[in-house]
Amino acid sequence: MIKNEEILSRLAAGVREMDEELAVKASHEALDNKMEAVTAINLGLVVGMNQAGELYEQEEYFVPELLLCSDAMYAGLNVLSPHVERIAGEDRYKVVIGVVEGDTHDIGKNLVKLMLEVANFDIYDLGRDVPPASFIRKAKEINADIICLSTLMSTTMDKMGEVIDLLSQEGLRERVIVMVGGGPISQAFADRIGADGYSENAIAAVKTAQRLMSEKKAAV
Amino acid sequence: MITPKDRLINALNGESVDRPPCICPGGMMNMITAEIMHQLGNQWPEAHQNPQAMAGLALGVHRLSGIENLGVPFCMTVEAEAMGAKVNLGNMVTEPRVIDYPLSQMQDWSSLPDFNPETGRMGMVSAAVNILAENRFGLPVIANLTGPISLATSLIEPMTFFKAMGKQAQDVHAFLSFITNNLLVYGKALLKAGAQVITIADPSATGEILGPRRFSEFALPYLNLLLEGLKDDSEASMVHICGQLHSIFPELNQLKTGAISIDSATSVAKLKTALFDKIIVGNVSTQLLQNGQPLQIKASALNCLNKGATVLSPACGISTLTPLSNLKAMVDAVHEFNYQNSGERGND
Repeated sequence: MIKNEEILSRLAAGVREMDEELAVKASHEALDNKMEAVTAINLGLVVGMNQAGELYEQEEYFVPELLLCSDAMYAGLNVLSPHVERIAGEDRYKVVIGVVEGDTHDIGKNLVKLMLEVANFDIYDLGRDVPPASFIRKAKEINADIICLSTLMSTTMDKMGEVIDLLSQEGLRERVIVMVGGGPISQAFADRIGADGYSENAIAAVKTAQRLMSEKKAAV
Repeated sequence: MITPKDRLINALNGESVDRPPCICPGGMMNMITAEIMHQLGNQWPEAHQNPQAMAGLALGVHRLSGIENLGVPFCMTVEAEAMGAKVNLGNMVTEPRVIDYPLSQMQDWSSLPDFNPETGRMGMVSAAVNILAENRFGLPVIANLTGPISLATSLIEPMTFFKAMGKQAQDVHAFLSFITNNLLVYGKALLKAGAQVITIADPSATGEILGPRRFSEFALPYLNLLLEGLKDDSEASMVHICGQLHSIFPELNQLKTGAISIDSATSVAKLKTALFDKIIVGNVSTQLLQNGQPLQIKASALNCLNKGATVLSPACGISTLTPLSNLKAMVDAVHEFNYQNSGERGND
């Protein structure tokens, strides 16, 4: 019989090496071995995805590789998820994410969404070309912890400030963390429009989201 | 006196010029602002579909700001629309954008229609080029093309496209060949209509997204096919790529163009050391152009030139809310740079 450690490393390798077949096969092996599905996901697939994220940060991997890794991860998740017992009242932070109005470039947004999902955030994706009011409406509706705004175009970055202004007008600014990112965005720009966080890439965005949430919890 | 056209063409081809030209190519690198539209009484989105209005705006930019080129169109949706993408033409301050892709699966690419450069907005852009080519100011007319990878990701969900690079590489190559062949037809039509300079903007082909291996496999060959195919009919060309380019610096040397245009994510000085014989077009921050003061902008533009840009231009499409006074400040820099060069270079 295969050892659990070996299965976990095969799960991680399947994801990291963009090998869907391996990820699926190792997922079945985990179930056959009576491994908890949650364990297989968190200590196997997610570890592989985080390794892929590290390779991306080191510029060994680029966007296509990261997307292929995520396909392998989701292939494994499809096998394992039905066996996961949901824990009631689980503490997952809610994130509204979207590309601001006027821009339809959503690669960066999708990467951030993916990595936040891997990190167990609850994501509400509004897609691209999203008017400022839609972010506010959704944030209210689901009682969001974080709004993530993305744009690739310098011509549309001012829409991010509009979202923040609208949040303030609605009296929600203190309650919701706003993170911004995308090609033309910088820390200086984030500071200028009064955003809480800026990240250069999807991997860093997860760290920023986790940091801002723990700061917020500590402050309460 | 050298004409602006000869100055730009010489500069792009690496020949010496009396001073750097200052341009805004158009296309992805839009140069139209709300202030200019107001002054001309000629506006978006109507102008995107009217050759006279399109040409009028391009000429107006030169007249009001001193920018030394003409160029059309003012977005990068013309090609995608011609292949079936649904486009929202935007409004006076927002550029046209693709809102629906015609393809859902990579292998279906062969169902897309070929370009017909005489019809639709392609025909209008050609007609606008025709009008601009008659200009009495000796201004170069730039034909703006959307690069193959950027057009591809305007026709199919980019995530699907990038994944297909790994899983369906053959389909991706066939799709890119199809796109490139069509772009050649459109590019030739624009040159025939009177444009002299080709700008290919391929923002999505950035090293930041693709990395060096996939840039070499999927972006470089098709950009080069396009450049080679249009070479005989044009007098100069440039390629604009967005984002951080350091991962593909060596590969940029293999582009078959004389000039590379960059945005502000890439440092002119660093790129300069990585390029063997290409000139750099760039890269005044569009954020600064929108929000800065004229003096800051002139200083920043001079800094671009001092660091090694041969042709001065905004780093990307400018915001329609950019003040005209700031565009003029950028243009001032090329005149001042000449003065500095000819003696009082000052301390740098």
